[in-house]
Amino acid sequence: MPASSPHQAPELIVSGVGQQEITITRLVRDGCALLLFVSHDCPTCAMTLRNLGPLCDGWQRAGLTCTAIFEDPLEVAVRTARRLSWPGGVASQPQPFGTSRSYSLVSVPTTVLVDGAGMIAGRVTGWDQPALAELVRSAGSLLGTPLAVPPATEPLRKPGCMSRAALDPELAAAVAAPAGGDELEEMFERGWTDGLPVVPPTAERVEAMLGGADPAGSLGLVPPAMGEATLERVAACAVLAGCRPSYFPVVVAAAKAALDPAFNLHGQAVTTQPAGQLVVVNGPVRNEIGLNGGMGALGPGNRANLTIGRALRLLVSLTGGAMPGALDRATLGQMGKVGFCVAEDEEISPWQPLHVERGFEPGQSVVTLIGCDAPLSISDHRSRTPEDLAYVLAWAAASTWSTNWWPLAEPSVFIICPEHARMFREAGWTKQRLREFMFGCVRKPARELRRGETTPFVHAADPDEVIPKWTSPDAIVLLVAGGEAGRYSAVLGPCTGMGSAIVSREVQRRVS
Amino acid sequence: MSADYVSPFDERVRPAEPLAPRLADISGARIALLDIRKNRGKEFLDRIELLLREAGATTSRVTKEIFSKPAALGLIDQVATVSDAVVEALAD
Repeated sequence: MPASSPHQAPELIVSGVGQQEITITRLVRDGCALLLFVSHDCPTCAMTLRNLGPLCDGWQRAGLTCTAIFEDPLEVAVRTARRLSWPGGVASQPQPFGTSRSYSLVSVPTTVLVDGAGMIAGRVTGWDQPALAELVRSAGSLLGTPLAVPPATEPLRKPGCMSRAALDPELAAAVAAPAGGDELEEMFERGWTDGLPVVPPTAERVEAMLGGADPAGSLGLVPPAMGEATLERVAACAVLAGCRPSYFPVVVAAAKAALDPAFNLHGQAVTTQPAGQLVVVNGPVRNEIGLNGGMGALGPGNRANLTIGRALRLLVSLTGGAMPGALDRATLGQMGKVGFCVAEDEEISPWQPLHVERGFEPGQSVVTLIGCDAPLSISDHRSRTPEDLAYVLAWAAASTWSTNWWPLAEPSVFIICPEHARMFREAGWTKQRLREFMFGCVRKPARELRRGETTPFVHAADPDEVIPKWTSPDAIVLLVAGGEAGRYSAVLGPCTGMGSAIVSREVQRRVS
Repeated sequence: MSADYVSPFDERVRPAEPLAPRLADISGARIALLDIRKNRGKEFLDRIELLLREAGATTSRVTKEIFSKPAALGLIDQVATVSDAVVEALAD
């Protein structure tokens, strides 16, 4: 039986989401009121809200209002109520929890029934199904109508947690402080972000991300600030970025590739250029973790693509210290510096996938990193021969890096859409043939390249000497990705002057 | 660092390296001129070299592998060993 109390219900000193003040008088206006004193971090409170929530609407229609009074800030209260699908009222009381104190709370949850006269008609401490059922029956008696009672499912009884009002006020404030603020805002305050909201890297999330890998294992130092990329920090970046644990082996492979000195991450991280790091994923892992190489492959919409690329960038900017405006001196930057990961559509491609070209077996999962500029879309819906299409694709790259900067030694990455790839497939063009054709057709006499920024090579050449856009066909990287419809390919210009090689690393199932 | 979260930062505190002593006078000093291979850096250093020599300094020329990578440790050691100061032509 719920303990009865003949006392007047103390007035509430709380805040809610609505404009109307929450008072006892208002809550019992149509009958009587159930007050649930709870806190967000108490499992029994969560269970109580879960169990009583489905009954709330019926009770409120009968005249029994239901209000959860949290010993937490209002934003925490609202978020907790939403998470637990609590349909009743939500209120928050400030420190030092005077309302809980005036109701002589020892622990939460405590459920208090207030009658129409504002008198306490009963209270139940903790989760106690029989006592709560009796309390609700009492409310039904007061209202003159039977009310649904919580079902007698296990556990029937469960003690709660200490009320913050029962703590020393100073201790209560200290207990409330870490969870008191909005944890997403706290990430911004700590600077653990690229400017977008992040997932807080709690110890539990990082442990799950590590999947048993040694947190102290080191991948090396991340330039430019030379912070050590322990696996734990890489995992923290992956959590921050929003990765699932199943993505972590790909993130680690990307980090290993980025930290290979041949990639020159140092130069890319600090340059005034808009250098981004394109992460290309090949092999079975693409499908295992749901990477998108199809429709919208370079755009939004896919968690794996967006978060893997972002995790690498967070590693560079946080662990490596390359924050824009600090050690990252990019004049404009580009969206690829937020994160840029694409899966090659090997199944659609008429050619060897990138990782096989680079010496791996088709069945291996491989991450390849390429330093590059933002993508430039190339529309071609009119070409009817592979020669015309190759010409259009190649000449789209003529102005990449800089209009008259010829030849480029660094790689230009062409992402060929499926419809364009099909034309080359049907014509029997190999990847090498396409590469050589593209290399051969983008040429200009030196005299036409002598305006503004150009290369010493052009300056030194005879005015009639024909200069190619690239130093070699090998500077043309070809990938296949994109939706089945639409004739839009893309080219990503290079990071010139970085001395950055393309680097590949196999994805290890067991991270180490 | 909060016990609640795993920091993505390497929060070890590393002591700052003190600056080398400044030269009181460049006359008689050994000054290395470091070309990082940025466009026209050589022209700039040519002019600086003339001025330094007129002021009585002894100069030497050193060159980085590429401007976008940190100088090799061997190069840094070489400069530190044979020079009293270094002038770097940093950017175009």
